[in-house]
Amino acid sequence: MNAPMPGWRLAAQVDLSALPADWRDALARRLGQRPRRIGVWAELALYGACRCLDKAGEAALPPAARVRVWSLSGAQGAMRTGIGQVRAGLLPMPFHFMQSQPAMMLAALGQALDWRGDAAFVTGRDAQALLRLALAGAAPEGLLFGRVEEDGGRLRTAWQRWVPE
Amino acid sequence: MSHGVYVAGMGLVCPLGEGVPGVVEALRLGEGAPEHVDVAEGFAWPVHRLPDAGGAWLDRLAAHVREVAAQCGGVDPRADVPLLIGSSSLDAGFEEEGGAPAGPFAGDLQTFGDAVAQALAWRGPVFTVSTACTSSLNAVLAAMDLLQAGEATQALVLGVELRNRFSVAGFGAMQLLSPQHARPFGAGRDGLVLGEAVAALHLTAAPARWRLRGGANIADGRNPTGAQHDTILAVCWQALVRSGLQPADIGLVKPQAAGSPANDAIEAGALRALFGAPPPMASFKGAIGHALGASGAAELALLMGCAEAQAWPAMQQAPEPALGVAFAGDGPLQPRHILALSIGFGGGHAALVLEDGEA
Repeated sequence: MNAPMPGWRLAAQVDLSALPADWRDALARRLGQRPRRIGVWAELALYGACRCLDKAGEAALPPAARVRVWSLSGAQGAMRTGIGQVRAGLLPMPFHFMQSQPAMMLAALGQALDWRGDAAFVTGRDAQALLRLALAGAAPEGLLFGRVEEDGGRLRTAWQRWVPE
Repeated sequence: MSHGVYVAGMGLVCPLGEGVPGVVEALRLGEGAPEHVDVAEGFAWPVHRLPDAGGAWLDRLAAHVREVAAQCGGVDPRADVPLLIGSSSLDAGFEEEGGAPAGPFAGDLQTFGDAVAQALAWRGPVFTVSTACTSSLNAVLAAMDLLQAGEATQALVLGVELRNRFSVAGFGAMQLLSPQHARPFGAGRDGLVLGEAVAALHLTAAPARWRLRGGANIADGRNPTGAQHDTILAVCWQALVRSGLQPADIGLVKPQAAGSPANDAIEAGALRALFGAPPPMASFKGAIGHALGASGAAELALLMGCAEAQAWPAMQQAPEPALGVAFAGDGPLQPRHILALSIGFGGGHAALVLEDGEA
């Protein structure tokens, strides 16, 4: 893939549009425990990010690296359930509300990677524009860039690890 | 080569009014009271709401974003000017109303950004930043990246948080809301009070009075609903280093200070550790509420407006003495450098240093 901005190269990428049936078990094995109550969308983000770092041969994401995640579906299941509960005159279950927030996925990702740093959820319609924005201002430790979609029952995720040339 | 980033214009619609100068005057007079809102059967919480203009949710959204963009002095929606929108609830209010004609949830997460762009007849790239309470401050940081990298010469940043029951009910269900009013850093503080706001910042590479010197963002997942002492220190230091400044250069701090019993204390402790004796604080959440994803942009606009007018919010309650912080008072205060801090859900910590070229 051509770099969207000069000075960067793609070190690794995974495109998981067809997930293995046991991907959640594989994630649990990778993390040493099953993620609790973060929702399937966030679990998918963790799975894709870990697979991408594994492919890049990185045991850990450097602290100064940047993480950007985007999605058009978001945590669709949790969001629809939570807003549906409000429309029905109920309080949303706290974990549905939390799971609906992209920021909670970033927190779970940080915990899974044992990492804290410049992570943000930034979405839009133009994948290349999102990547250019993510790379602008990224540190020499580079960028972990992911897309996570929960489109009805169809789950897919794609991640890229960008480093300086 | 890194380019400077300046504020060419700002706009604000919040429960205290429309336009930064008028809202600053209302803050100086100590105005601002929430109203109780029923969000679910048997559950009501105070919220600082925008006046109910009636009409459909999307029409109100369009009217508000046009208003704040106009207050900026008009931004040329050229094809190369990016629009960055920070929001936590996005179009939850629209979905509560019934959503699109095709039915609820017919759109996706960028449908909200599309609606904002359509209202402004925007032709450039459109990005939606959603990192909970740090959303619009992170949108500012992203715009700074583009301008500093020479990818753009101007950008419009919006913070948008409009009426919806989902946010109030969600925070309420998590027992994070005060039943009465927010008391930032105050004794007996018992939680947040949410607010509605739409704010705009027109950023440019052309020198202007206010320069955005440097900022930082750190997401720390160790405590997804709380502030972390060491992360507050780290994000402030990163912002200072990127600004080429030291703590002693900061003359005023805009803290998160949402009125949370624990998080306010952690934040005050971190600021004491950073500064020793912290500079005066300017806090807005007691008067306009916590506007979640819009709070970063709204409070930056108010910060600059207060500094320009030399008028600071009349606080309803002094800080708890044990926290070791003080609010900016009535006396003259014209700091050259201001540190703005935003902390949110998901462990988001963001900081930005502003420079007043006329101080």
